[in-house]
Amino acid sequence: MKERNLFQIVTIGIIAIWLVIFALIPNIMVFAVSFMERSEESFIKAAFTFENYRAFFSSMYFSIFAASFKMAFITTLICLVIGYPFAFILARSGSRFKSLLALFVIIPYWTSALIRTYAIKVILTTNGLINTFLIKAGVISEPLNMLYTQGAVVLGLVYTLLPFMILPLYAAIDKLDTRYIEASQDLGASRLQTLAYVIIPITVPGIVAGCLLVFLPSLGLFYIPDILGGAKNILIGNLIRDQFLNSRNWPFGAAASNILTIVMAFMLFAYYKSVRAINRRVL
Amino acid sequence: MKKLLTVILMSLALFSCGKKAEKEVHVFNWSEYIPDEILKQFEKETGIKVVYTTYDSNEAMYAKLKVLDGAGYDVTFPSTYYIKKMSDEGLISKIDKSKLTNYKELDPALLNQPFDPDNSYSVPFMWGTTGIGVNAKYIDPSSVTKWKDLWKPEYKGKLMLQNDVREVFHMALTALGYSGNSTDEKQIEQAYEELKKLMPSVRLFNSDSPKVPFLNEEVYIGMLWGGEAFRAQKVNPDIKFIYPEEGVALWADSLVIPSKAKNPENAMIFIDFLIRPDISAKISDSVGYMSPVVSSKEYLDNETKNSRIIFPTKEDLRNAEFQLNVGQAITIYQKYWEKLKSGK
Repeated sequence: MKERNLFQIVTIGIIAIWLVIFALIPNIMVFAVSFMERSEESFIKAAFTFENYRAFFSSMYFSIFAASFKMAFITTLICLVIGYPFAFILARSGSRFKSLLALFVIIPYWTSALIRTYAIKVILTTNGLINTFLIKAGVISEPLNMLYTQGAVVLGLVYTLLPFMILPLYAAIDKLDTRYIEASQDLGASRLQTLAYVIIPITVPGIVAGCLLVFLPSLGLFYIPDILGGAKNILIGNLIRDQFLNSRNWPFGAAASNILTIVMAFMLFAYYKSVRAINRRVL
Repeated sequence: MKKLLTVILMSLALFSCGKKAEKEVHVFNWSEYIPDEILKQFEKETGIKVVYTTYDSNEAMYAKLKVLDGAGYDVTFPSTYYIKKMSDEGLISKIDKSKLTNYKELDPALLNQPFDPDNSYSVPFMWGTTGIGVNAKYIDPSSVTKWKDLWKPEYKGKLMLQNDVREVFHMALTALGYSGNSTDEKQIEQAYEELKKLMPSVRLFNSDSPKVPFLNEEVYIGMLWGGEAFRAQKVNPDIKFIYPEEGVALWADSLVIPSKAKNPENAMIFIDFLIRPDISAKISDSVGYMSPVVSSKEYLDNETKNSRIIFPTKEDLRNAEFQLNVGQAITIYQKYWEKLKSGK
């Protein structure tokens, strides 16, 4: 009994120290800095001002925010449309086939995301795999401009984040009691009706969880628009990085990052509320 | 509670394992700036181990050194406009030139510059130009003579700019006839208006390896560093380098020793090695930038020696301007840079 206590204290202690040093303290620092002023010599000057937050609500930063949300929304939608059928097949397939499919989802994660993004670049570039193939096959005569477009950025985001959509959906669909489906069919519902009125409503928590897990990171993956989009657009992640590195405006970068955190917190709160409401309704 | 405290202390002790002292030099350098063979040769000749880390912008290097308060590295390579800032802020230490046996080999024209009179803090490493790169297969190089030519509508979707706020605004300000180091908001805004007109032509912004989009034929024309053009030519001779009439942007990177370097003696040996004529020539051959070591010329490859990219004529460098520190005005640049990219 005693030993177990020690074990508990050690594990919880290490996690607590970890969180305090690498999450709590940095966040408090970011929060504090966001109310200070920029200094040419030492990054920040002790002061108390709301200027950094006020500056954020100018039309330019608002449009950067809007563009980031649009990109994240499109990415989430595509991930959902691809991920849902995949998760469904995954959950409903035989057990041996199932683990193989799940392995396929996870394997790319053994390679760094940055390297995989460069690999997409090699495939899309003017004399890359797709263009070379299409020209050799006689489908096109001029190479297509695929790299450095919005489409390439969306492709990169979808590719990187798809597993975050599939895994929670898989968990939700896997738990789905087949008796509901049988009951629905016994009562004369068509396959489409069963899907729309039975399967999807029950798996909503998985859908919302997957959407959040895709939406939130896609706001911050600054290297994908840089590498695949040719750095032509500033998204919220790039904005924050540039404030810290290029213009050395730490207070403003901190304010922008806090606003993003607050928006994300609101969305997580909405998720929490919706899941509770759904659980009450369905069960 | 006591138990918890012991656990905390125990786990903290894990982080602070001691490290054995060894003869080494910690080098913090731009990516693709010194070939591996040179580093190996240094280790072989001196027995000092090189611990090598790279960065892709002055800003990134400065931010890291500033946060570490001048510790962590023994040698780094800031551009001219960062040297004054770093020495003013006490981030780099003075260099005893009498200990550098090869200092006398340096080109006097590159010494005693305003950013570091008497070179108390810095030793030139390489210098170069930012001009226009053109793929002759698609665009007649003789039709491109000035920065203003980049605005021609026929280059739509085939143009590349550096992904560097200072470089891009330097180009636009020069094209307007202003100084590339302007701190006047009106002039910077005017440059922004011009760049906005250029945006529909821009295929991408790239600063980490600008030759690659040229070699992949993603772009046919754009801003390019001389050295990148030189290396691109070795793969595709169609890639030409043009010195724009309004004036090229000049930059120079120097060797400095951060103020809290752990191995300053080894750093001095490393610096002296890099400005040795045969070594400097080898680096110049490989990276395509100009060596500040006069006598390095006799060690250069013929290809390098005869290249106008490496050895521009007086005419090529007419109106050329060094990039300088713009101080607080960097926030104005950054503001218009964000405006430019957010399409507002």
